Amino acid sequence: MRGYLAIVRGAFMVGVVYRFGFLFTILGNIIYLGVAYYLWHSIYQNSETLHGLTFNETFLYVGLGSAVFILLKTYTDWFMNFEIREGIIAMYLTKPVDLGFYMLSVSFGALLMNMAAITLPTILLLVFVFKVQFAIGPGLFLFPISLLMAFMVSFHIDYFVGLLGFYSESVWGMSMTKEIIVTAFSGALIPLQFFPAAIEKILLILPFQTIYHTPLMMITKPNQGWEVFVPMLMIQAIWVIVLFVATRLFYNRAIKVLRVSGG
Amino acid sequence: MRTLGEYIRLYFLIESQYIKGRMQYRADFIISSLGMFFSSLVTLCIFWVLLQSVPNLAGWSLTELIFIYAFYMIAISPMQILFDHAWQIRFHIQQGSFLKYYFRPLNMMFYYMSEMFDLKGLTQLLLGIGLLVYASIKLNIDWTLIRVMLLLITLFSAALVQISIIVAASCAAFWVLDSYPVLGLAWKLREFSPYPMTIFDGAFRFAFTYVIPIGFVAFYPSQLFLRPQDVSSLVYFSPIIGIGLFAITYWIWTKGVNSYTGTGS
Repeated sequence: MRGYLAIVRGAFMVGVVYRFGFLFTILGNIIYLGVAYYLWHSIYQNSETLHGLTFNETFLYVGLGSAVFILLKTYTDWFMNFEIREGIIAMYLTKPVDLGFYMLSVSFGALLMNMAAITLPTILLLVFVFKVQFAIGPGLFLFPISLLMAFMVSFHIDYFVGLLGFYSESVWGMSMTKEIIVTAFSGALIPLQFFPAAIEKILLILPFQTIYHTPLMMITKPNQGWEVFVPMLMIQAIWVIVLFVATRLFYNRAIKVLRVSGG
Repeated sequence: MRTLGEYIRLYFLIESQYIKGRMQYRADFIISSLGMFFSSLVTLCIFWVLLQSVPNLAGWSLTELIFIYAFYMIAISPMQILFDHAWQIRFHIQQGSFLKYYFRPLNMMFYYMSEMFDLKGLTQLLLGIGLLVYASIKLNIDWTLIRVMLLLITLFSAALVQISIIVAASCAAFWVLDSYPVLGLAWKLREFSPYPMTIFDGAFRFAFTYVIPIGFVAFYPSQLFLRPQDVSSLVYFSPIIGIGLFAITYWIWTKGVNSYTGTGS
């Protein structure tokens, strides 16, 4: 455990080195927030609420969504693909660490860095520049738990695609396809309520919505009863377990086909 | 100095070798094209979902948005297909392999960019053309010879604007070690170019029109075909904007290339 904490710390420090990059990421996020503001403003031109969401709620969802998006994008698959190509992956296999936990620790360190450098500034912007109002309710307290599980789901999907790199080197296409599926089906860009009812039903069954839709709804509509929140958290927990077990099993198979040259 | 004809011949020679090499990895080509297919449709899907709830976006119908989007997909294709190597500048610079581009009797930007030909970008181009045809039929656009000429000129200008933004951003690598954040920002801005610029006001409209003119990648030129009656006269300047931007980008590139001192290895 202590070893993994050192890895978390290391990944955090790597982020500190690239401070310059955060400026641009924050700038990009400010522009995105502005674009989203105008886009939704014109959507809400003639209506107070759409699908039970007010403009303020939708914008809070989308704005916070952009911050959470950066937080939960682990890039584990891109990172692993690079290490497989360069042969660096072989180094991990000689060390007394578990590859899955190693990657998880790296992602978690980066998450902490991103939280400090991007998510918190974005929330401040939402409150002070865009004057978004937060409602108070039990959902706010459940948000951190939900976010943590969302991270676990996101990580394991990325890690799974990363392991696919053991089989094929054309990870660009796979990672890109995964990224699009996650972005489009998770409610990262649009609250799921806006999708046609039939599609929404399907999306609620898939694991992707537990990454963005679940935690974001806890903030957007925090004053709902436990009968709403508990099932949401349960579904998240189930997906965390399912994906964790699935990647473990997949790793055991995939590691047998890995061929590394160089390094 | 080499003539344009020589360069074109050379380009075909280089790319045909490159494509032959890439075609050994057929599965990669198919999977990458699939990834490209999905990724190039994301913003359009957002528009589609949004227009399930409201009848139009700032007065623009879904079919009109598809037209603008198709224009955008075609306009960004030359950047995607011919200038994809821009993403690698930062690696070449960090590892010192950029030095080799100084040693050929060729235009450096030409030589550098010719090293990659992004096959998967063709998916986007074909999809864009397909959608443009679809939207034109649904909107009853009468493609007279003049309109076709206008389309080609505006697409050329729009492509130059997009190429300039991405290449200029990638040049940041000459001065800062990791240019990824700058490129990432430019890449993100690209996604906003198919938005109807009429939804923005104030600083945003100004910035997207005059500062980083992504409005000229799709929205303003598309108006020529969608609503010729209320087209802004700015559109007629788009060739000048495209060529001007590219000239600035080329100047930045030259500055960067001249200031690079290698890694010492």
